[in-house]
Amino acid sequence: MWIALLVLAAMPEWIPARWNSADPKSLELIAQTPINCILLEQPNWTLSKAAAARNITALGVVHPGAAALDQARQAVSAGAAGVVLDGDFEPAAAGHIRDVLSDSKIPVVELSARYRMPLDAALPVIGTNQGVWPGIQTEPDNSVKAAPSGAAWIYTNTGFLRFARAASKSLIWVGVTPPEKNTWRVERYLQAVADAAMSGARWVVALDPDFEKRLLEGDAAARKDWTRIGQMLRFYEDHKDWRDLPPHGLLALVQDVPTGALLSGGILDMIAVKHTPVRPVPVRRLKPGVMGPTKMAVDVDPEALNTEQKDVLKSFTRAGGMLLSGPPGWKFPSLKESQITLSDEDTKTLDNIWKEVNAMTGRRNLGARLFNVSSMLSNLLSAPDGKGVILHLVNYSDYPVEGITAQVLGQFKHARLYTPEGEVKELETYPVDEGEGTGVDIDKLAVSGIVKLD
Amino acid sequence: MTRRELLALGAAAPLVRASAPPAAPVAIARCQTYSNEELVSTLSTMFDQLGGLPRLVRNKTVTIKLNLTGSPGLKFQGKALGLTHYSHPNMVGAFAHLLNAAGAKRIRFVESAWATSGPLEEYMLDAGWNVRRLSAIAPNIEFENTNALGKRKKYSVLKTAAGGYIYPAIHFNQAYEDTDVFASMAKLKNHATCGVTLAMKNCFGNTPASIYGDDAGEHEPNENPGAGRVNCCHLGKRQPAKVAPSELDASTPRIPGYRMPRVTVDVFSARPIDIALIDGIETIAAGEGPWIKGIRSLSPHLLIAGTNAVTTDTVATAAMGYDPRAPRGTAPFADCDNTLLLAEARGLGSADLKRIDVVGLPLREAIYKFST
Repeated sequence: MWIALLVLAAMPEWIPARWNSADPKSLELIAQTPINCILLEQPNWTLSKAAAARNITALGVVHPGAAALDQARQAVSAGAAGVVLDGDFEPAAAGHIRDVLSDSKIPVVELSARYRMPLDAALPVIGTNQGVWPGIQTEPDNSVKAAPSGAAWIYTNTGFLRFARAASKSLIWVGVTPPEKNTWRVERYLQAVADAAMSGARWVVALDPDFEKRLLEGDAAARKDWTRIGQMLRFYEDHKDWRDLPPHGLLALVQDVPTGALLSGGILDMIAVKHTPVRPVPVRRLKPGVMGPTKMAVDVDPEALNTEQKDVLKSFTRAGGMLLSGPPGWKFPSLKESQITLSDEDTKTLDNIWKEVNAMTGRRNLGARLFNVSSMLSNLLSAPDGKGVILHLVNYSDYPVEGITAQVLGQFKHARLYTPEGEVKELETYPVDEGEGTGVDIDKLAVSGIVKLD
Repeated sequence: MTRRELLALGAAAPLVRASAPPAAPVAIARCQTYSNEELVSTLSTMFDQLGGLPRLVRNKTVTIKLNLTGSPGLKFQGKALGLTHYSHPNMVGAFAHLLNAAGAKRIRFVESAWATSGPLEEYMLDAGWNVRRLSAIAPNIEFENTNALGKRKKYSVLKTAAGGYIYPAIHFNQAYEDTDVFASMAKLKNHATCGVTLAMKNCFGNTPASIYGDDAGEHEPNENPGAGRVNCCHLGKRQPAKVAPSELDASTPRIPGYRMPRVTVDVFSARPIDIALIDGIETIAAGEGPWIKGIRSLSPHLLIAGTNAVTTDTVATAAMGYDPRAPRGTAPFADCDNTLLLAEARGLGSADLKRIDVVGLPLREAIYKFST
């Protein structure tokens, strides 16, 4: 029993990667990184024992099908410490496998469709295999898809992840793999790590076949890129204490699964891309006290609230809070369960509420205002002592950004920039917003960084 | 040119012959980098060659129209905007330093920031500029976003030369009138429609989108503009907000290659340029910004300055490897009328290289072909 408890306790510490090799020598590459958990497809289950010998947890990957339970048992027999159910398992089938394996104290991680994620379950790790491939997508003619603002369109899982983190107590794995038939610059892998980590989740590292082949063959350039991926993983593990910090800011977004909270490119992402700090408030968590210091809130679907939840928002507005519930007659587009992005038509529908949100927030500083960040996303969190803030920054372009300015609400004396490159840099602080805010300038940022103000 | 314009030009011909358009000298210099030291030294020499900055700016308010075209979120190959299609912040800082040293009373940077009426300082921050550093260069530096009314109480109405090509008068943010000296700080670039975009074309952006924008009110300005000027100025699909004079002749061609050169000359003639300063250190060719397909980076390492925008643009066009008097249909004016000739026809300056005294780097040594 105590072994099972130990395994459960260790699960949130697993730093996962899909690993397509059965060669024990390949584990030397894993050992160079913080990765301590590998997901093995059936042909590679033989690697499990060698992995265990190096303190690397091997999980056998099982896909949906009639033989899934048998395969899960075979994975365990081959030495896998646990099983990953990767794919759109029927809940009953997944539950059955989980029940059977739990009798043997075998941990199970599900990488399911987003809508099947058990957000309310008391599991150490939940996950999904659905996601967008983070980054700025280029069109076939190599041009960049532009958002209406003229800025590049950023593909990100952060909106969904920030909602899921607010709705669930589990650590979340994002099992998205690089789109096939393409090779990717290392920056895209670094962005995938940071996209999840900025929201307190973990990306299950997965390489495109070309990168993987070159890495396993010892190609120097591939090894160099692999080192950078390890460096990025280590950076966020070094600051894992900040993973569970609450969102900071004066704007809240009240929504849940039926109103697009599981989407990528939904309302939360639309607000976040303008670098307006926003606190996701899942409808299921809408209880007295949850609105905290919020001064503005967007309620995507007032009809979806029960009486108690409506009362929470009534109290919020009576206390002076500003509430936006969408234009008259506006309805959130109906979504298919498995849908994770919006159609062009859906985006047009959302544009109506987006314009109202934009008008409400305007140029106000609702926690932080950022400049020269069109290729970046951010996440503002409250520091553990309540006296400071943590500002995550991720750059999704393939180029470093120079000359970033952050104006953070509150008076702060010290600011430090942490980057994966290892350097901790003191930043000069100066007053902005007539003394109510603090400005800091960042000369250059490669892929990601964290600013701590206190 | 239209028949109407030819007739008008014919009627004015004796006058033109009597007083040829001004042909002020133009300075060209080689400048390798955007280092503050090299910029200050090079610009200082150039303005000395033009008669000295103090003569132009001492105890005066100097308003500088920057070139911050398009959203600051659009970058070409991730490069800093100042290395491609925007004014470079170091160039702006060096010019401000020299203006201050020359005794300018007030230095005001203006631009009609794309799709916003927010503070220009924030737009500059979005472009990656260090506004605090820039503000500290001289004691009286101001910033104004002229895309709407901004800090002002009313718009200025300034008449165009000879009754105008398209508009008889233009509404501007008052910053353009409330100044002693007006400078256009442009980039040495091609323009997809106008062939080249230099000191004069830079001032196309003087027009407030609140009145000339695609989302301007029909009657009143929209003080929160969120769009460009394509339908109004480029295509003539709509008129400016009715607070401003409408077009002279709604039957003229509704094509950008006809309209944009003429609107450019109208805007320039309504608010003439006293100092034209063109940055060709690092730039782009084949278009004015990253939204144009096929653009490429160039490093001509040139600075060009003058006190007449027509002569300065003429020399700059030649430095780009083009014939400044090329007719429509010839590069760089492949699909448009020649803005330089339209300005010259209004008597605003000479587009004739034979009449323009080039000082500093000889023009033949400066030529850097923009077309491949």
